[in-house]
Amino acid sequence: MNKPNQQKICSNCILPETFPGIRFNEEGVCIFCQRFQGKEEKLAQDKKKYEQKFHQLLNQLSQPSHRSYDVLMAYSGGKDSTYTMFLLKTKYKLRVLALSFDNGFISDTSWSNIKNVTDRLGIDLISFKPKWSILKSIFTYASMHELYSKKTLERASTICTSCIGLVKSICLKTAIEQNIPMIGFGWSPGQAPVQSSIMKNNPSLIKMTQKAIKEPLKKVVSDEIETYFLNEWHYSQSERFPYNVHPMAWEFYDERMIHKEIKKLGWEAPKDTDTNSSNCLLNAFANEIHVKRYGFHPYVWEIANMVREGVMSREEGHNKIYQEQPEQLIEFARQKLNIQEI
Amino acid sequence: MEQIKQSVKMFILENILYEDNENALDYDDSFLEKGIIDSTGVLEVVGFIEEEFNISVDDEELIPENLDSVNNLARFIKEKSGK
Repeated sequence: MNKPNQQKICSNCILPETFPGIRFNEEGVCIFCQRFQGKEEKLAQDKKKYEQKFHQLLNQLSQPSHRSYDVLMAYSGGKDSTYTMFLLKTKYKLRVLALSFDNGFISDTSWSNIKNVTDRLGIDLISFKPKWSILKSIFTYASMHELYSKKTLERASTICTSCIGLVKSICLKTAIEQNIPMIGFGWSPGQAPVQSSIMKNNPSLIKMTQKAIKEPLKKVVSDEIETYFLNEWHYSQSERFPYNVHPMAWEFYDERMIHKEIKKLGWEAPKDTDTNSSNCLLNAFANEIHVKRYGFHPYVWEIANMVREGVMSREEGHNKIYQEQPEQLIEFARQKLNIQEI
Repeated sequence: MEQIKQSVKMFILENILYEDNENALDYDDSFLEKGIIDSTGVLEVVGFIEEEFNISVDDEELIPENLDSVNNLARFIKEKSGK
């Protein structure tokens, strides 16, 4: 396999020749960029449509109720979820409850950020940490074996998919239990399409999507995994199933502007994470395994989308993806998980 | 109906599975159970059918019975568009 810097890369975005299903035209433009051509205006229209849809949803949910919160924010302490939470609280004037998931690898700076930002915005915070034995077993297994479908792995590493699967499930359980009508996510515009930016959860769809994550994890940690997923009581509360929203799909997105805004909230950029995470010390290790296993970076789809859509320059995108993972982070995670070699 | 099925199948093969082989997907394969797509993928398919067949999918229609296989999608599209 060619090293990342020896690979052929799309001359428009940054997808490499190793990305599933890719082909290039004579100018070296990938099939995904070719399909996007002429759709810029449609994307802009869709962004407006979903922003309007969100306002309609807020009107619909503004009826008097006995609930304490309007939205449960899946709050990692990273820059994107910090900025999303800031928008939900200040622009949309929502009552936010933040939920931070501790995977055992959150950087100290991130914990400070989580506390500083929630305090500054006047937001209640829950932190949830599954027992370390479960997390360690899952991360260790995922570092050596594949657990999920091919499609999932275009967008994230096996370790990240496991972690995010737990985050989504814990948030959904909490929102149902506390009768909170929306869950906010800080997905970047490249991470998830605008068509998914407002989605009503329903029991039958969730049952199937949870199964796709839960069953592989069950093989690793047996029935202990059930604690973190919905049970029959949750599924019986169909009227409490919340909407998932990720407003950055339609909001103006610029990394420099985001850093500037959230700095005012006491947020500091961690110096000990990799180029694609602003909170997690496991990410570089997960990326390294994914690159070795599949020959492409697990963030390349997200970053290529942002380059293609003009949200990020090609040079910035290239710098985020085509550099070695920090050795000290890989070593830190390897030792913490007690893995001999990857 | 056959035309709708073929159009949906080609979208899945080309955009989700990246397969040239038409035998890689049967009309009644469950997308979610077989791990062919995840929940975000479901919404990509919804985006495709809204555009291709000029229909609008409501929140309460986002259920596996409508979206989880080529057959389910084709039946749902037919009902929505009156084709």
